[in-house]
Formats: sequence, C-alpha cells, structure tokens
Amino acid sequence: MAVDRRKIAVFGAAFVLRLLLTCFFPSLPDLLTGRVEVSTPVNSFKRLQEGLFLYTGNVSPYDGGVFHQAPLLLPLFALLPNAKSSPLPTAIFYFLVDLLNAHALVNISASGQSVKSKLHSAVRKHVQWDGVSVAAWFLFNPFTIATCLARSTSVFTTSGILFAVSNAVAGNSINAMLALGFASYLSLYPALLFIPLVLLCYDRRSEGPSPPNVGSFIVQQAALLLASVAGLIGLSCLITGSFWEFISATYGFHLLVPDLTPNVGLWWYFFIEMFDSFREFFLGVFWLHLASYVGGLTARFRSQPLFIITSLLGVFAIFKPYSSISDASLFFALLPLYRHLFPLMRYTFFAGSAILYSSLLGPAFYHLWIYAGSGNANFFYAITLVWSLGLSILLADTVFAALRDEWEQEHPEQVGTEVRQV
Amino acid sequence: MPAAIRNLRNNPHLLFVRLPKLLSFICIVVGVVWLLLLPLNEYSRQTYISENALLPGQVHAYFTGSEQNIFRGYKRELEGLLNDGQARGGQKDEAEVTAAVSDKMQSILQAAGLKVATQKYEYTSAGITHQGENTYAIIHAPRGDATEAIVLVAPWITADDKLNLNGVTLALTLARYFKRWSLWSKDIIFLITPDSKTGTQAWIDAYHDMHPASVQPLPLKSGALQGALVIEYPLDHRFQTLHIVYDGVNGQLPNLDLFNTAVAIAGGQMGIGANLQEMWAHDDSYEHRLQTMFRGMTKQGLGYATGAHSSFMPYHIDAITLQTKGEGWEDEMALGRTIESLCRSLNNLLEHLHQSFFFYLLMQSNRFVSIGTYLPSAMLIAGNFTIMAIALWMRTGYYPEKPSANPKNEKAPAEEKAKTNIIAERHLALPLSLVVGLHLLGLVPLWVFNNIFHQYFTTTTYIFVVVDIVLPLLLAAILSNGLGLSKPIIPQQYHLIKSFSLLLLGLSLSTLATLNFSLSFMIGLLCAPLSFVARLRGSAPFRLTISSLGLVLLNLVSPPTVLLGVCWYMGVSVEAVLTQAAFGWDVWGMWTQVVVWCVWWPAWLIGCVLLGSSIF
Repeated sequence: MAVDRRKIAVFGAAFVLRLLLTCFFPSLPDLLTGRVEVSTPVNSFKRLQEGLFLYTGNVSPYDGGVFHQAPLLLPLFALLPNAKSSPLPTAIFYFLVDLLNAHALVNISASGQSVKSKLHSAVRKHVQWDGVSVAAWFLFNPFTIATCLARSTSVFTTSGILFAVSNAVAGNSINAMLALGFASYLSLYPALLFIPLVLLCYDRRSEGPSPPNVGSFIVQQAALLLASVAGLIGLSCLITGSFWEFISATYGFHLLVPDLTPNVGLWWYFFIEMFDSFREFFLGVFWLHLASYVGGLTARFRSQPLFIITSLLGVFAIFKPYSSISDASLFFALLPLYRHLFPLMRYTFFAGSAILYSSLLGPAFYHLWIYAGSGNANFFYAITLVWSLGLSILLADTVFAALRDEWEQEHPEQVGTEVRQV
Repeated sequence: MPAAIRNLRNNPHLLFVRLPKLLSFICIVVGVVWLLLLPLNEYSRQTYISENALLPGQVHAYFTGSEQNIFRGYKRELEGLLNDGQARGGQKDEAEVTAAVSDKMQSILQAAGLKVATQKYEYTSAGITHQGENTYAIIHAPRGDATEAIVLVAPWITADDKLNLNGVTLALTLARYFKRWSLWSKDIIFLITPDSKTGTQAWIDAYHDMHPASVQPLPLKSGALQGALVIEYPLDHRFQTLHIVYDGVNGQLPNLDLFNTAVAIAGGQMGIGANLQEMWAHDDSYEHRLQTMFRGMTKQGLGYATGAHSSFMPYHIDAITLQTKGEGWEDEMALGRTIESLCRSLNNLLEHLHQSFFFYLLMQSNRFVSIGTYLPSAMLIAGNFTIMAIALWMRTGYYPEKPSANPKNEKAPAEEKAKTNIIAERHLALPLSLVVGLHLLGLVPLWVFNNIFHQYFTTTTYIFVVVDIVLPLLLAAILSNGLGLSKPIIPQQYHLIKSFSLLLLGLSLSTLATLNFSLSFMIGLLCAPLSFVARLRGSAPFRLTISSLGLVLLNLVSPPTVLLGVCWYMGVSVEAVLTQAAFGWDVWGMWTQVVVWCVWWPAWLIGCVLLGSSIF
C-alpha cells in the first residue's frame, strides 16, 4: 500500500492543531462544551457526563431528565478515563474520530461519484479537488474543530453518515446500511437519508456485471437497516433495562422537542412563542417539512444520489430540531466534493459573509442576552435567522449550480449564457 | 434612474473601482458627522426615571444630628491608628497598621450588630504583586429573605490614589445607622477594600465563586446583588459637588436609571450638584456636551476600570461611584443622606434594574443619547470596510484587470477573458491563508504585552515600532518576488487579500459596536485609511515615492505608534499604561488588547503589505 505523504501531513497537522489547542488553552474544551451553538440537549458532552455518572452509579441514566443520548454511548465512555480528572484520553479519542471521518471523506472523494455517477457526468469534471484537499477543508474547518474540542456526540452521527456514504460509493451496501443504522440509532434524523443512500448503492451495484432487481434490492436494504437499528436498540435495552423509558427519553425527545434551550436552529424560538394547543400540529408540520425535502430532491436529482445526500445534509443543518454547528460542519464537509459547481455559484461571498457575520454576532448577542443582561432573546434569535439565511443561500445556490450543470450538459451550446428570471 | 443604472452597467470601471471608494468615503464622513450631531437638542434626549419603583427622593433622609458625633468618633479612632503608624515610622510597619485598622473596623461593625468577615487576596500581573484584605459586613434585612442585597463600598484608597478616610468612616457610620432601621427589604453589605483596583474585583469574583486560587473564598454571603454604590470622600474639608463615575470594565455601563436616580437625589432632594466625566464647569453648550461625550467614549473605548464600581459591571450588577469634589459647604452628613436616600430607592426595587437603557452616551447629567441614535455612526464606519470588501470581491470576479497595466497580469488564465459573463476563477488559497495567518500572528504581541515584566514594556513597544516598519516590507517582498519561497502572486490575489482583510475588519467592528461602541468607533476611524490603500500602478519611481510616503503615514497610525503618541500627548509613561493594560487583562478580564492585536493590527499590517508591494 502506497503511503500518501500529503494525507499523512494533513491528518498529522489536524491532529497536532487540536492537541495544541487543548494543551495551550486547557479551558477551551469546557468553554466550547457550554456554548449553545455547539452543544444542544441531544449532543452535549456535559449531559453525557451526567448520564455517565448515573450509569456508573447503577441508576438509570435517564433519571433526572438531563441525558437524552443513545445508551450505547455510555459503556463506550465508561471505558475511557474520567474526562474531568484526565481530559486528554477522551480528547484524543475525539481527535481520532475526526480523523476517521476525514478518512471516509477521502474515500468518498476518491470514488469520483460527485462528478461522474452512473446517470450523470458533470461538464467541468476537470475542476476538482483531490480527497486530501477535501479532508483538509473538513479537518481545518473551525466549526469541525469547535465540535471536536467540545466533545459533542454529534461527531459519532457524522461518522455514521460519512461511513454510510463512503461504503455506498464503494458499492458496499451492507456496510452502508449498517453505518446508517448506527447514525439513525444515535440521532434518528439520518434515517431520512435512506432513500438516496439506497439509490447510490443501487447505481453502484448496477454498474457491475449483475445488476440487482430494484424492488428486492430496496426491500433487502430496508430490512438490513431495520435489523441493524433493532439490534442496536436491543443492545440498549440490555443496558438500560427499561425499553420505554429509553425510547421516550431519546427518540421521543428528538421527535417532540420538549427542551427549548436556545440553539442555532429555527425551532426553539418558534415553539417558545407558540400556544400549547397548537404545539402538536406544528410539530407535525415542522417534521413533515423536514421530511418533504427527501422526496422532492430525490425525484429531481435522481441521477446524482450523492448530491441528494449533500443537499439533504444542508437541509438538516438548517431545519432540524436541536441543530448545532456540527450539522453545518457536516454539510461543509461534503460541499468541496462539488468543487466543479463552484464557478456556477453566484452568491458564495454573500452566503459566506452572512455565515461569518452570524458566527461572530451570535456569541456576542448571546453574551448581551445572558451575561450582560442588556439584550434579550430576540437579539440571539435574529442572529440564528441570519445564520439559517446564510446556510439557505448557500444550499439554494448549490442546488442552482447543480441544476445549471445538468442543463449545460443537455444544452452544450448554451454554456456561458446568463440566467434570467422570467 | 434606469439611465443611471444602465450607465453603471456599461462602465465597469466606475461601478467596481470608483463607486465603492466613493461610497466608503461617504460612509466614513457620514459616520463622523452623525456623531458630531448627537449633542444637539434634536438628537439627544432629556433623561428620565424609567423604573417607577425607584421613587427617587420621595423619602425623608434622617441621617443627621447625633450621627455626626458618631462619625467624628469613628474617624478619630481610625485616624489615631493611622497616625500612630505614621508617627512611629520605621518601627511599626505597614502590615501592622493595616491589621490594627482592620481589627478596629471589625470591632466597630460587630458592635453595631453586623456579621463581619474578611477575605485575603493576591494578584500578580506584569511582575507586580498586589495583595490586600477586604473587610465586609452584612445587615440582614428585617423584612427580606436574604435573596437580594445592595452593596456599599468604601475603598481605603480612592481611584485617584488618595486616602479615603472620610468615606470609610461614613460607611461605618451608615452601617451602624442602617442597622437600626426596620424598613430594609434587601440585605445591605458594607465592603471596605484596601484599594480601588483589586479589592472589589477579588470580592465580587469570590461572591460568585469565580475567583482564582490566589483569592480566598467568602465565608459569608447574601443574595443576588441588585446594585452597588461606592463612596469616595478623600477631602479633609467640605465639598461642593458630587462627581458620578459610571464606566465599567470593557465599556459596560450600569442601567441609566441608577445614574438618573443618583442625579435626581443629589440635585433634586439634597441640592448638591452632580457632575460627570470631570466636567466641572459644564454650561450645557454644544462644545461642553461634545467634550463630555468624548471623555465618556474614551473611557468606554479603553475599557479599563474607572473606579471600584467597575468590577461589578461584568456580573450584571449596576454600580456607580460617588466622589466628592470641590470646596463648598456640603459636609459628610449631606453625602450620608444622599446615600441613604439612594439605598432607600434601591431598596424599593421589585426586580433587577432593567427598564432603562444599558447602552447610552451621556453628555450632561440630564441629557443622553440611546443606542438606536448613536449606533449607526459606528456601524457606518464598520460598513465602509464591508462595502469595500464586497466591491473588491466582485471586481476580482467580474471586472478583468487590463493586461496593459501590469505585465504580470498576463499570467492570469487567458481562457477566463474569453467569456465576459462567466465569473473569473478566483485563486483563494494564498489570500485566505495569508489573512488567517496574520490574524493568528496577532496572538504573539497579545501574549508578549500581557506576560512580560513591567520594566520591559517601553523597550518592547519600541521594538514593535521597528517590527511594524520591517515586517510589511518583508512580507511584501516575499509576496511579490517569491524570494524562492513561493510563486509570485497575481494582481487578483492582492485584491482578494484586501477583500478578506477588510471583510474581517468590518465584521469584527460591527460585532464590537454592539458590545463596545466607542472602541469600535475609535478603531474604525484609525483603520479608515486601510479602505483606500492598495497596490499602486505606474512607473517605478512614482510607485516608490508614493508608497514610501504612504508607508510612513500608515506607520503613524500603527498600534504601537498610536500608543506612543497618545502617551506623549497625555504626559503619561508608556510603562504605566501597559502595566495597567496587563493588569486589566489579568485581573479585570479586560479585552481591549484582543481587539488591538487581533483585529486592528492584522488589518493594518495587511494594508501596509499591499502598499509596500508596490515598491517591488
């Protein structure tokens, strides 16, 4: 096996950077862990610590209503030394998970599925970054670093998703479904990626010598996914003992959104303001809205399943309950795969500026609201709107560029003409 | 209008090069003019009490008569201890005197029926150790449940480094006097600190369990603090007016209601005039209002603690200092009555002060402008950088540079010029890493100026002046010639470097404007030239002359030069200023330096690099 020097350099540099940040600023991880932009009720390391404490004390971790994460994380973290007294092993574990995620990204990029899939071939194939650059964008993204240092458990969901995709682009549908099952088990929402992921697997399989039957393939994969999730839930039952308690504390919590702690998403403020009688209705509407993108994007981008996954991750980063910057960092991780679309995008600078502005103003306004007491909740909420706006512009622009790319492929004579809204 | 737009479309030079410069310039000018308009009656407002519960001056203050004898008695006792120490000079050292005084204060407070406790602390900053012992006592509210408290602070040394004997004595007298009243619904804490810089900080940190290891925890606590008043009476004669100091650390201000209450009580009920910002002869003219506002902005912008009250502000506790000034006929009893009345007002509060403004500029004790009125001026200045950044970004994409202007331009990919409406490919890697790298480089001076010993500050500043002259030229040379380290960069990348740098600057300044308006405004003004400097074109001698001249001018507004200039103008030593700054960083949690070294300095450096690159 050839050793890729650049890859080692990038991975090593990313590791060293994280290590230096933890060593030189020992208070940084705890500071980030406390930030609402990074830690939400469903991925906070602090809450995990609470759950872990109860778990090691032989009490149900869901007692007290603080911990809402998957129970299988508990035995895993129980193996690691106490993060309070010796933070380094836990930190290094997280660094390694980040590197693994980056490795999966390199594999995704190496497959070339983003530029050339079974049914689609981009016009600007030559404009592309190699896997190491894509991994570097992921590893040196401040949002990724912040998530990693804050030890948010979202990174495991991220690995689940990235491994599912990297296995899918390799045509390894069984592993892909197992990984997706893991991600869905942890955070529920990745289950929405099932359809595009099956499409991706199917496209890869059908390029081979013996294309499988569509119907039976889908049923097979669905059964696999269900089996993997069921297996993990079964294991969890062994740990927690009570099935319903853990289901309602984790998936019920994800679905019903009872904790309205501020985060960068759009749900908390809306549900704070709402009269209780409308709550169930709007919960349904919000979830339906989130899920509806799957159908539309899948139908429109049937020929580019990897792009469906990318844009869906963007949608999740904006519209999912309890969204944090780790969701955005996952979306940003997959974006560089579409380097060939960048020349077609029109508002990158504005989207980038909006995201930059909100990531500076967000903490400032949160400070004014919570600590200085001179602002109020609307300050922070306004900035989360700007943040979502920035992400939406970026997402819409990416979708526009992908459509334009398809169109240019169909009409080679029109390349370079200006788009006009009619 | 449509004709004008068509004209712009057909003239990219006007649209991408001239118009942004014009817009940026207009933004700066309007921003400055806006600020200058604020003192006018049309733009500023009369202050008013927003919180009804305060009812300033509605109660009779009973602190008179026989209390004065108590005051004199306490004063004589303390004076005796202090003089005793002075008289015997070398034989009795300072620590012994301090201990004796502290014991005396504790016994006085205990005799008055208060719970007393002490707290030792020690801070080290820039190689100087500050240590001391706070003494404090609590009156438990007869009508309260110890969930809320008011703090009265009397530092032994005032903010102006004078002995505050009368102030401390008054606090002790008030403690005895307040204890006998049954109407308090909030606990009252009397805090006697050794000085105005460290004592309250150590105490308030420990009160919220946020203290470093070198500070002792508090053995005795009360409820949430609702407000704090600092008493300073360093004179040995009667005073004329009260000077109200209100600036907190990092430019945070107390609720305007607290200031208004103090003005209303001092002026309305007691008939003592109230001054602010050391404006002793304020005739309410435009000039004086402007001067008051500028003084307030300077203090806010520098973000240092202006008195013992400043340390309360980060914990969202509104606090002011009352200083006695001038020679008049008001005595300590008048000051005592003012404080009594203020405490009664604070005692009335049903919830934390929140009604009135937290962001304001005062220009007279009864005139202010609120954030909605003044914020646009700093935002316009910050906006000028953003406008320029956006324009430069557009320019790199849509407006091809003329190849004739610069021979290096031919290296730009030729295919992009073929199609005019396709966005040119931008080479982002180098500009992005340069801008990010230089911003990270700002951490070096930040670390240096906060960690070295105080005697090296002056030398280090001069070293940094030299570094600021050499570093931009070095970077410019590397960028334009490569010096074998990298490929020489193309003109588009100069625009991108400037675009990213200005974008970050605009971003940081507009964020900063919401936290500390004055600092954002000052840095914005100092950075204003950066919008207009760029790599020059033209013949070599012309470029050399103009860019050298420009570099000299830019070096005059570099952070270390500005520091030296201001110190020279104010007549203070650089070492004192930087020691104070390092102390602020270490103890008060002041972050003005972060803005200087991680926002202003990198932006300035990049401006110089761009200008310097014209030489090569």
